[in-house]
Amino acid sequence: MAFPEVFDHFQALLKDHQTAMEMIADLAEKSGGDYIFDRKYLVDALHEIKALLLKIVKGLNFITGNRCPDLYPTLDRIFMPLEAELRGRLSLSEEMPLVASLDALPLDKPELTGGKANTLAEVRRRLHLPVPNGFVITTRAYRRFLECNQLEDRLATVLESWSAGRLGDRQASRQIQYSILASVVCPDVARVVKRQLESSLENWAVRSSAYGEGGDLTFAGLHESFLNVPASDLLETYKKVLASLYSPEALSYRRQMGMLGEEAAMAVLCQAMVNSLVSGVVHTLNLEEPASDNLVIYASPGLGRTVVEGRANIDRFVVARSPSHAIQHIEVASKETLIRAAAAEGEKEAAISLEERDKPCISEDDLQTLASWALTLERYFKRPQEIEWAQDSKGQIWILQTRRLTLPPAAAALAPNVCESCALYPVLIQGQGTVAHAGIGCGPVYQIQTNEDLQEFPEGAILVSRYTAPWLAPIVPRAAAIISARGSAAGHLATIAREFRVPALVGVAQATELLKPGMEITVDTHRRVVYAGKVKELLQYELVQATVFEDTPEFRLLRRLLRRIAPLTLIDPQAPDFTPQACKSVHDVLRYVHEKAVQELLDLPRFLKRFRGAKIWTLLSEVPIGLKILDLGGGIDPAVRGQQVKVEHLRSLPLRALWEGVEAPGVWSTEPVQVDFKGLLSSLTKTSTSEFAGYNLAVVTETYLNLHLRLGYHFNLIDARMDPDPHHNHIYFRFVGGATDISRRSRRARLLEQILTGYHFKVDTKGDLVVARILHLPQDEMRGRLRVLGELIGFTRQLDIQLRSDEDIPQFVQTFAGRHPHGEAAKTTGG
Amino acid sequence: MSQNKLKILVLDDEPIVCKRLQPALEKLGFTVDTFTRSFEALQAVESSTYDIIITDLKMEGMDGMRFLTEAKKISPEVEVIVITGFATMETAKESFKKGVFDFIAKPFNLGEIQQVVQRAAAKIRESRK
Repeated sequence: MAFPEVFDHFQALLKDHQTAMEMIADLAEKSGGDYIFDRKYLVDALHEIKALLLKIVKGLNFITGNRCPDLYPTLDRIFMPLEAELRGRLSLSEEMPLVASLDALPLDKPELTGGKANTLAEVRRRLHLPVPNGFVITTRAYRRFLECNQLEDRLATVLESWSAGRLGDRQASRQIQYSILASVVCPDVARVVKRQLESSLENWAVRSSAYGEGGDLTFAGLHESFLNVPASDLLETYKKVLASLYSPEALSYRRQMGMLGEEAAMAVLCQAMVNSLVSGVVHTLNLEEPASDNLVIYASPGLGRTVVEGRANIDRFVVARSPSHAIQHIEVASKETLIRAAAAEGEKEAAISLEERDKPCISEDDLQTLASWALTLERYFKRPQEIEWAQDSKGQIWILQTRRLTLPPAAAALAPNVCESCALYPVLIQGQGTVAHAGIGCGPVYQIQTNEDLQEFPEGAILVSRYTAPWLAPIVPRAAAIISARGSAAGHLATIAREFRVPALVGVAQATELLKPGMEITVDTHRRVVYAGKVKELLQYELVQATVFEDTPEFRLLRRLLRRIAPLTLIDPQAPDFTPQACKSVHDVLRYVHEKAVQELLDLPRFLKRFRGAKIWTLLSEVPIGLKILDLGGGIDPAVRGQQVKVEHLRSLPLRALWEGVEAPGVWSTEPVQVDFKGLLSSLTKTSTSEFAGYNLAVVTETYLNLHLRLGYHFNLIDARMDPDPHHNHIYFRFVGGATDISRRSRRARLLEQILTGYHFKVDTKGDLVVARILHLPQDEMRGRLRVLGELIGFTRQLDIQLRSDEDIPQFVQTFAGRHPHGEAAKTTGG
Repeated sequence: MSQNKLKILVLDDEPIVCKRLQPALEKLGFTVDTFTRSFEALQAVESSTYDIIITDLKMEGMDGMRFLTEAKKISPEVEVIVITGFATMETAKESFKKGVFDFIAKPFNLGEIQQVVQRAAAKIRESRK
């Protein structure tokens, strides 16, 4: 095959790679809620991506002479479950667990774990609020139960008679429940449940977690839960909970809701028992006065049932929703009895002493904690919440359940003229920026300059920043919204915002100037408006009226697809598991293909032998790096003759920018160096003079650069694009190796991490490997960062020797930052 | 002020489109009714007056074009905005040159549809001066 042909294929491959990456970024952006799409769009998009990937893999095999056939089965392995997701067939497949702990269950499969368990796992893992640990016996285990007891036909027959009206709720219920209770839990399920029980001696709360519960349909109270169950009784209790799926009440509810034909399935949540001294419920809206800006906390001594079932006299506290949650009104009830856990198992009723009867059963501090947690839950779930809580003997408060609060019709009629109400508030910013995650957020502005401010960030404030820097990620869950002046809806921070459902608007040019610290503002991404003040009517409209798009089937499906498409897990091309077999996502495959294609070009001796016609330039530079350049088009001034090219003849924007950094005064150290360093330098010179040895090659176009540099023992890779349209732009930087011991090299990796983080790169380090990525900045910002990378390449040559201890790191960060007094890096320290 | 509100009918067989459009348009000050079935939408057009109709062109089991023709017959004044898939965009534009205010391709973002609707509303208000 002739060189020009391979060359064309390589260019086509680069282009397809870029297109595929943009399609992935585009899908991620669609998951932010600003776009309206349907299922068909997802089907089409996935087919398009698959076709492109197939083309790319074929292209790579063409370039490499068919040396990557393993990629075809890899594509099948990655796309098969994606297609199964589209057909809705994955959740109950063999791939799914029978039992999963709250900390390990998949968060995007409520049909597997049931609404309650799914919600509580989100609360525990995303919001980090205290939820008793435990595990869920999934709906797949429920199917196993029916299967191995051969109950499916029996149930179907009874339910058919029931839905045809030949059997009443009560008769049907009795027949089904009898069958379930008389069956046995299959051995494979029993085994995994027992494994979960081994770790604990405590008693358990065994709770129903039906699918639909906690979601759009509320099965609240229809299914059974059992408290204080000893481990030895857990499997028997499990059956009782399963049986409650067919209680007369549940059947009658299903009839009312028109769910006759639908399959029911039950997951069961088992949690460590909280022996509560006090328990209760929070309503994040006061149902008696929905328009007031208050929430209500109910509390009573003992286990939660008294409040939920309304069985005893209960303390009622009306608390302001806005911080610092002032207590507006208290009604203390006279409480005579409480229900508590009995010593061995079960529950018992006990009397309350005379002096305790008329005191409030919860402290003011605890009320405020509860109020703040309740609003965090409401902000995340985007609906008024009804939260069950309990306080144990150590004073710790636990969240036992949270679900959508059913509103009276009066509340639903709130804010009918939301448009007219909004018009009364001053508009600070309108029609600017890109929506990274849709929604409404209100709070005080908090501007972050350095990561020392991270700790200070107040719960529920609005994060205003210049960049969507990845180091801001830890505060995302605490933010009511995010507004940034620069940044991309496809970047890391945007992904985090979507994960935590925090409304985010990026690319609002003057955000940091217009939105002053402490100002109370309301952001509405749907109209891309920032109002001054708290637009109460809009917030209420959103809570009560608008669709929670995150909960719609289309969005859930897109999120599930993205989980198999977007994450990058293949980070280190030198690692032994950088193989097609290790690819976990579409992104991984793209990464692998790109690396292999470039490597093919980089194997210069072989390459030149294969393609005698290829023209390789040599860069003439003050810095002694013998850089070879392969120009794929527009990278070098066409007027240049011969084999050598001067820096000023480079037309490739990214290479020029990088080289400005490499050649910047003082970067390529000419200071007297120590013996070690001389050795290093000599090895460097050796590498750079011997023709084509090593990897000093740049593959360029006018807007693209792929650069491999081996300087002594340092190995640098930069892949960058600088297009006029920021959406095409990226920098990928990899740095590894060095002549010293691993501890010094790791130290250097940490130093690079700190510096690059300061320039808003997403940085991953592993030992002495540093991988930094940044996306979608405008050309001039890309230029600045490439220049910094150029300087770093020179700068880090010295570091192995000079970084003697971890204490030296901050000083070096300062030294480097000192060269860039205007960069934000100067202010950012620490990881 | 409320009596001046313009009324919009949204028809799309995908409930998600209706669910998302309703609040987005209500926030702009319109009264919004949504339908996922064309015959119900047609009944609504007969019994009530709409200023703007937003409809999908390709829906399962029904023809968006026929709905439009019928709706226009009943209410010739109404401004129509057609939602269509990318693939059908060109044919749609061709066959609907007359009588359709504008087209919008799926998937679209809220800003795009809000803009088109605002333009239609401005035209209606202008013509009623």
